[in-house]
Amino acid sequence: MMKKYSVINTPIHNIDGIAKITGRAEYAFDIKLPHMLYGKILRSPYPHAKILKINTKKAEGLTGVKAVVTGKDTLGIKQGIWRRFKELCDEEILARSKVRYIGEPVAAVAAVDEDTAEEALDLIEVEYESLPGVFGPLEAIKQGAPQLHEHAERNINVTRHIEWGDVDEGFKKADHVREDWFRCSSQHHVCMETHNAVASFTPDKKLTVWTSTQSHYYIQVLLSWVLGLRENDVRVISRYTGGGFGSKFELDSAQFCSSLLSMKLFKPVKIILTREEEFMATKRRTPMFYYLRTGVKKDGTFLAKEGRVFTEGGAYTSMGATALYLTGFFQAFPYVWPSYRYDGYRVYTNTAPTSAMRGFGAPQATFCAETQIDLIANDLGIDPIKIRRKNAMYPGYEVPGQATIQSCGLSQCLDKIEKWIKSQGKLPPNRGIGIAAYGFMSGGIFNWFDTPYAFSSAVIQVKIDGKVDLYIGSQDMGQGSNTTMTMICAEELGVQVEDIRLHMGDTESCPVDLGAWGSRETLMQGNAVKMAAAKAKQQIIEYAAAKLSPNIVYDLDIKDRWVHLIARPERGLSYYDVVKEAIRGKDGQPIIARGHYTPHRKGMISPAYSFGVQAVDAEVDPDTGKITLKNCVTAHDCGQVINPLGVKGQLEGAMAMAAGYGFTEDLPMDEGKILNPNLVDYKVLRATEMPETKVIEVETYEPEGPFGAKEAGEGLTNPTAGALGNAVFHATGLSIKNLPITPEKVLEALKEKKKEEKK
Amino acid sequence: MIRDFVYSKAKTVKEALDLLEEHKENYKIICGGQSLLILMRQGLVAPANLIDIKSIEELSYINFKPKDGLKIGAATTHSDIEKSSSVKKHYPVLVSMEKNLASVQTRNWGTIGGNLAHGDPAGDPGPVFIALNATVKIANSERERSIPLEEFFIDYFETVLEDGELLLEVQFPVVPPRTATVYEKFNIIKNDQGIVSVAVSITMEKKGSSCKDARIVLGAAASIPIRAKKAEKLLIGQKLNNGLLEKIGKRASKEADPVADIHASEEYRRHLVEALTKRMVRKAWDQARKPAR
Ligand SMILES: Cc1cc2nc3c(=O)[nH]c(=O)nc-3n(C[C@H](O)[C@H](O)[C@H](O)COP(=O)(O)OP(=O)(O)OC[C@H]3O[C@@H](n4cnc5c(N)ncnc54)[C@H](O)[C@@H]3O)c2cc1C
Repeated sequence: MMKKYSVINTPIHNIDGIAKITGRAEYAFDIKLPHMLYGKILRSPYPHAKILKINTKKAEGLTGVKAVVTGKDTLGIKQGIWRRFKELCDEEILARSKVRYIGEPVAAVAAVDEDTAEEALDLIEVEYESLPGVFGPLEAIKQGAPQLHEHAERNINVTRHIEWGDVDEGFKKADHVREDWFRCSSQHHVCMETHNAVASFTPDKKLTVWTSTQSHYYIQVLLSWVLGLRENDVRVISRYTGGGFGSKFELDSAQFCSSLLSMKLFKPVKIILTREEEFMATKRRTPMFYYLRTGVKKDGTFLAKEGRVFTEGGAYTSMGATALYLTGFFQAFPYVWPSYRYDGYRVYTNTAPTSAMRGFGAPQATFCAETQIDLIANDLGIDPIKIRRKNAMYPGYEVPGQATIQSCGLSQCLDKIEKWIKSQGKLPPNRGIGIAAYGFMSGGIFNWFDTPYAFSSAVIQVKIDGKVDLYIGSQDMGQGSNTTMTMICAEELGVQVEDIRLHMGDTESCPVDLGAWGSRETLMQGNAVKMAAAKAKQQIIEYAAAKLSPNIVYDLDIKDRWVHLIARPERGLSYYDVVKEAIRGKDGQPIIARGHYTPHRKGMISPAYSFGVQAVDAEVDPDTGKITLKNCVTAHDCGQVINPLGVKGQLEGAMAMAAGYGFTEDLPMDEGKILNPNLVDYKVLRATEMPETKVIEVETYEPEGPFGAKEAGEGLTNPTAGALGNAVFHATGLSIKNLPITPEKVLEALKEKKKEEKK
Repeated sequence: MIRDFVYSKAKTVKEALDLLEEHKENYKIICGGQSLLILMRQGLVAPANLIDIKSIEELSYINFKPKDGLKIGAATTHSDIEKSSSVKKHYPVLVSMEKNLASVQTRNWGTIGGNLAHGDPAGDPGPVFIALNATVKIANSERERSIPLEEFFIDYFETVLEDGELLLEVQFPVVPPRTATVYEKFNIIKNDQGIVSVAVSITMEKKGSSCKDARIVLGAAASIPIRAKKAEKLLIGQKLNNGLLEKIGKRASKEADPVADIHASEEYRRHLVEALTKRMVRKAWDQARKPAR
């Protein structure tokens, strides 16, 4: 018997790892072109103001300055990624008449070097008329609050309603009802590579943009729209992306301003955002105020849930509308709720726009839901694992009107985590283990971007020496999708990883894929790659069959570069030999095949869902409130694992990011001004804060995924804040419903508790 | 953006002092650059002249003599102190303090003189050095002076250093017998600057079990590192018990004069002063009481 898979489920290092660690990987950051100029962006110091006048004369007069652009030099298009909904396209990028947040671009300069460009910014005179601002969603939605956009009364940007079952009836039947308010804070992506672009417009009216993005296709389309160019006169190149986490699939100020300047000058222009600009004026995780009312039976059976959320939208829509929907959907995850009602309001505020960030609304939902579940379990005296097991989603469950769950390993995950917790024995004082269950989508079904293309495509060419050129549209931003796609291609075609030469990150040579967001690549791009590889394989097999002339009842396959009869593996031919003959037989044409994937009739959200349970073991210092992470164990169902090393990397990265969200990271503001726009004051976890992490794979087979695979990208960021909060709860008896769970909040709660106890 | 400046590199202390004299008010000394460059990049400091003292060999040394104590040259790096065997043997608190100060990279570049001259109330060396009763030696082209480190800091990022003056050396007296000095900073991410820090030095009576001398120094709890002298007084001449420890903590917290920032409220800082003071006094007490090595 041959091994089931020869490539899949083998731990391999990222195929671009060596290029990266030896510094040879060329990021947009590294691009230098002849005659290249450097650009800088002038940004609004006001959270809300009218632009009365911009005088660029002095700046233009500075030696070394080549051009200055303002909103007047643009087509004035309000763009956005929700292209199907006009009112949700509300961001000009270079503001023409009004600024709505501190850091909003108002002008850009190109000069011979960065220092000159920056000096020129000081010489641009902008006359503003400051307007009253509004900074929180609960204030902004009030009647009479300052209004940001003419079309949005009470600053309501988007609303969302989700409902199934009879909620009121559910509450009537409930033995126990709980109501809680939660506040979920903001978070920054903190990509190692800040947003940047080099744009080069040439006299043949073609624009090439090297940039750091999660979706070169989106950037191509959006740029061509706002610049008035043909889609395919814009070429976007993004070979390496130094981190994305949701921050890099919208059109950004570096891409837009460098393009505008280059079009004016016919010279390449490079813009790199500083870390401070990155913090102040790129997108961030959506802060949310969450109200949850939940009704359960005495035995812990879930009956009804009602959720209401107000999200801080910031000045523009960005991807916030998606976050609003997903937080509502994942609020009911990963459990069976007979009835559920959700109302979400995204409210414009005079703060930096909030948008997509790893988990996309689900980490917020999971924090609130999982905190409340532990409170309910505590109220009823039920074990946290038991209450979750009782209500867990299962294979074949249908979320009414929303989604069908096919594979689901949640119960197995609960079993594994329960076993681990038991193995820990009795914990010392001030220690606690908290758990959180979660799930996530493997790519979104929504097409608000309105692409006429398939969601994902791939092209394969097999060359005479058996080398395979694989062209994909997906983007590797560190999550390892290049490696995953290479592995899927090699497995399906029956060759090895070294046989594949990958082509990606270039709109000119790569087929369309919507990009790396919503944890879509493994499933969607993976399916497209698998289809292309299968078709290429079929062509090779045809020739082998002719040569081997087996009885017609035999099937052929390729494995480990051996083309053979499945039932009689010893009867076969070398892959290399067959390929040569096949190409000769095709009148010298290489073997070419295409694959594509678009989900059809798969519900509203996603074709497949990952599941998992995480346990966080933490210690609380009762004198200072300080939390120390001790262990983090995650049982995770991502279907068939493609690259175990990749999953481990994703898990550890997600853990660091999500724990940061849970207890150290935040973006405090004063009247819309972010107070910690640097890496000294913004607290990202470092290696010293990382606990021991362990991942337990629970393998299921997902019929919709390539080889049964599902996502292992964002889902892993969902549980940690909740599990951490629950660990604090079990260590101290205190439930903190306001992220991040800082030592100061813990200490305050401890003091309150002591006061209560004295009474 | 860093504004243009004229760069000069001094090879000797004399050369440095002459350059300072020559450029009068219009200069900045740069040593490891770890703190200065941040300010320059943010445009908060824009000197016309930058005088580099990092290569002055005669400013980089660690000398220990059993009779005189320890002397550290101003341009000695944090890493050198962290790794010095004589420091480890005679002033172990300095090693543990350095190990938790910033990252390896910053410790490799940053110097002890630069740290003190920067005058950050959240700096680690300040409180620990004051607890060890350190003195600093300062010179200009005409004269030299020495002052207790306790009198060196004036306000946030302000010290007694005058134009033309260079910090040359930090001196630590011999540690009296039956003395223990301990330090802890409270932070959320290890090796970050402290949100509050406390250094405590306790010397026991030669015989018996009461406290002969005590120094309690608070970091990041006021505009400069400060001694909690009233709290010290509560301890001197006494034997430690839980009731007294509570009082000392409360008193130190009262003596602190912290401000609120994004990392902590004023109230929380006061609380931390109390918690850390109690912890450090207890720790120093237990160590000092142990029989001499
Ligand atoms: C990321 C980061 C984290 C840090 N964390 C910590 C921490 O946890 N704890 C802590 O204590 N510190 C911390 N620091 C600060 C750092 O330790 C010190 O500020 C550093 O050691 C300063 O030394 P330097 O030689 O680099 O000084 P420079 O930056 O060169 O100079 C600092 C100041 O001192 C003046 N100066 C330097 N030498 C002399 C001299 N001999 N005489 C007179 N004036 C002089 C300069 O003019 C300047 O004003 C951190 C710094 C960074 C960048």
